[in-house]
Amino acid sequence: MPDQTANNQGATHYNGSPRPVLEVADLHVTFKTEGGLVPAVSGIDFSVAPGKTLAIVGESGSGKSVSSAAVMGLLPPNAEVTGEVLLDGRELIGLSSEELRRIRGNDIALVFQDALSALNPYYSVGWQVAEAYRLHHDVSKKEALKRAVRMLDLVGIPSAEQRAKAYPHEFSGGMRQRVVIAMALVNDPKVLIADEPTTALDVTVQAQIMRLLEDVQAEFGTALVLISHDLGVVAEVADDVLVMYAGRAAERGSVKDLFHRAAHPYSLGLLGAMPRVDLPPRPRLATIPGSPPSPGSITTGCPFQPRCAYAHLVGERCITERPELTPRPGEGYHEAACHLGRRPEVML
Amino acid sequence: MPDLLWFVLRRLFATVLVMLALSLAVYLIFYALPADPARLACGKPCTPDRLEQARHFMQLDQSVIQQYLAFLKGIFAGRTFGEGAAAVQCNAPCFGYSFPLARPVTTLIVDRLPVTLSIAIGAAVLWLLLGVTLGVGAALKRGKLFDRLAVGFALIGIATPSFLLGLLAILVFGFWLNMVPVNGYVPLTESPVDWAWHLITPWLVLATIQAAAYIRLTRAQMLEEMNLDHITTARAKGAGERRVVAVHGLRGVLVPIVTIFGLDLGALLGGAILTEKVFSMQGLGELLISAVGQLDVAVVVGVTLFSAFLVILANLVVDVVHGVLDPRVGHA
Amino acid sequence: MSSSVVAAVSPTRQALRRVRRDRSARFGAWLVAALIVIAVAAPLLVKLSGQDPYTYHIDLLDPAKGGAPKGALGGVSADHWFGVEPLTGRDLFSIVVLGLRTSLAIAIVATLITTVVGTLVGISAAYFGGWYDGVVSRLLDFLFGFPQLVFMIALGIIVPAEFPRWLLLILVLSVFGWAGLARLIRGQARSLATREFVEAARSVGSSGWHVITRELLPNLLGPVLVIATMAIPGYIGAEAALSFLGVGVPPPTPSLGRSISDSIVWVYTGTDPWFMVFPGIMLFLAVLGFTLLGDGVRDAFDVRLRRAN
Repeated sequence: MPDQTANNQGATHYNGSPRPVLEVADLHVTFKTEGGLVPAVSGIDFSVAPGKTLAIVGESGSGKSVSSAAVMGLLPPNAEVTGEVLLDGRELIGLSSEELRRIRGNDIALVFQDALSALNPYYSVGWQVAEAYRLHHDVSKKEALKRAVRMLDLVGIPSAEQRAKAYPHEFSGGMRQRVVIAMALVNDPKVLIADEPTTALDVTVQAQIMRLLEDVQAEFGTALVLISHDLGVVAEVADDVLVMYAGRAAERGSVKDLFHRAAHPYSLGLLGAMPRVDLPPRPRLATIPGSPPSPGSITTGCPFQPRCAYAHLVGERCITERPELTPRPGEGYHEAACHLGRRPEVML
Repeated sequence: MPDLLWFVLRRLFATVLVMLALSLAVYLIFYALPADPARLACGKPCTPDRLEQARHFMQLDQSVIQQYLAFLKGIFAGRTFGEGAAAVQCNAPCFGYSFPLARPVTTLIVDRLPVTLSIAIGAAVLWLLLGVTLGVGAALKRGKLFDRLAVGFALIGIATPSFLLGLLAILVFGFWLNMVPVNGYVPLTESPVDWAWHLITPWLVLATIQAAAYIRLTRAQMLEEMNLDHITTARAKGAGERRVVAVHGLRGVLVPIVTIFGLDLGALLGGAILTEKVFSMQGLGELLISAVGQLDVAVVVGVTLFSAFLVILANLVVDVVHGVLDPRVGHA
Repeated sequence: MSSSVVAAVSPTRQALRRVRRDRSARFGAWLVAALIVIAVAAPLLVKLSGQDPYTYHIDLLDPAKGGAPKGALGGVSADHWFGVEPLTGRDLFSIVVLGLRTSLAIAIVATLITTVVGTLVGISAAYFGGWYDGVVSRLLDFLFGFPQLVFMIALGIIVPAEFPRWLLLILVLSVFGWAGLARLIRGQARSLATREFVEAARSVGSSGWHVITRELLPNLLGPVLVIATMAIPGYIGAEAALSFLGVGVPPPTPSLGRSISDSIVWVYTGTDPWFMVFPGIMLFLAVLGFTLLGDGVRDAFDVRLRRAN
């Protein structure tokens, strides 16, 4: 049964899951630069409930990483953020820097793409995990370190007590990413944002890290926002998916909606660009022709129109009118922003 | 820590080798000189007999290698020139004996060293403080007034020779404003307050000159450092901005600063020598320059080697500090 | 859309264009040009002023003030544009412009020598790598971090009095200066030596000499020019420092450093601070001009120099 109240707030959540812990509504991010105002995110909504996973997918430059940084309040001073970011119903936008500081790393934590550069090379990993704990808990260094060792052990670092004294460069890529995850989880956050957490890793290690994330999520009931361009990973772990294009939502819905009933040509393109083992091999991997528009360069019409293979089926409207998210058939909350009313035929 | 211990031992060993090679080279260069120190010492009228005597007494009649070995032995065990009642004793560590001044070089150095070291160490402390704080400040306030002032200050510092700035300081603060003493050195043991009071202008002058390069370096390094991912991590953890800068940003900046500081130790000594002349203080530089004028080879070699050893040893300390600051050192 | 054809502009010309746009670099370039003109034309300028740097003018001095020049600003007059030297009454304008000439000549020659040596050593170390590079790098670090000034002073003792001092200065500055340049050039060359086109030249069997002269050197001209320009003010300062300490060019050859050194007592006592001001400003301008120009050239060629490696 869909939750009516949440629906009315504008920050929809899908699948009839429990009340979302993080709700983002009408988020806009604009950068003030010497060349004028550059919009990076132009009004997106998403929400995620405890224990659930929301995947945000899109090409680089689509605004997915900027959105997560905006939620964390980590954007540089020249970024202007408007909209609503509700954590457990509490508005985060407009909080003082000290109030935000207390939330960062405590209620919302971040896992970065490149663990080597995300860790400080000059401090031992134990120290760095313990620091994250001490920033939010009034405990002695020794207690914090104990907690850090426990976390390192939990994320699967062998002989964590000794390894805690080691420095980031003394770990393998996969082990480093485990350290980063331990650091993010040390304060038992309600929301974990993972920004391409496995991109820098070997395929086998990727799977291990994703399993680890699933495990801790199951154990702590953490809401996970997974930012990725790897649809294979998304299909495996996500409950809901938000497809972003040029700073806007192109399509969103449950993972099934996306993979079985994709309604936006861009989503289809992404699916086509994904290597599949369950289909007979095609002569070459499909790609989406062209490249994403630079931020702010498209002011009217559909931002995907120049690259869209279906635009001719709709005609003029794609150039003059910006498509809004409209309901599509599916598990209830499937929406797409495309003038093509029906599901596009797959063209190969 | 055993990694670090090995690193220090390896460095120490290399340092000793470098010192040995350097001292041999210096000996070979300086004792090949055409002027004969014995002739100066022998007085007038200088008969061939007396000249021979003087040469023997100063041990100049031996080969350069023999003299060098005697010199090395002197450093560890001391040595004696001449025999009997006229014998001159030079106790370990003996860096040679100045016949014109009739004193062991070590004593001469020990007399002058506090002056030069006082200038050098005080100025180094001040310039590191100045350079790092102004550089960090400029980086954090990039493009603002503070940044421009700091960068401008750095440019003036880089373009002004230290002795010129010293004279200017004497003129303005000493003569026109009559605020500080313009010359002379007061030993620390005599009166710490007077010591510092006499040194404050030299310190500021030398620090301003050297801080300039460090402001530029720190600023550039800090700008780079604050853009790194691990700084974002620190913010994402919930570290306040002050902690991000002080604990995470500064740490990465200190490593290259320490490296550069090690390379600048030689220049520091040179700067101190110039400064002591400007402020009429009798330090190592004055000892060396007058020894060059008097063809006092023993003092020239002694002071030269001693300064080189000082810098090399200080470099060793810097290396160890570097090893402590950067955990990646010593594993390579 | 037609592909836009960018007019082929050499990197050097682009860099020059950028220097012209950078205000402080432009100022530095003008300053350097002016100083070089003054230095080259110094004998002519001196003749023009109707003076020479050797003649004593005791009549212009005030015995009551211990031999300081009569009149304001250190005795500035229509005859003596920068006044006269205290105690001797020699024309300060002649001393300053001829002193500048000495300074610049020594600095530029030392720069040329050290640039050539530094380039050879730096490039060969970067190209051959291995133990050779290891030994060279260690030697460079050692020489660079050395108490150079002490050695420069000390070397004065082994050189016979007949040996020309200006030549000694050039030699001393070069012997200790090349290491600094070689370190920087090695750094630049090393980042280049691993690039694909160099690898390609190597893999088709080009000789080391060929790769160095045909592939590395032309691509390093920009950085080398930058490093050399940035080294000049250092040599000007070092030459002045040695003269200041009394181990530079001997009197009566005019020298900025020595004049500044001579002015110490007049500054202490306040009897004739102007004696310091004119040579001081000239030295300051010389170092400033080349520093600004060096910074500008560096920014224009976009060379990132790391002193730490």
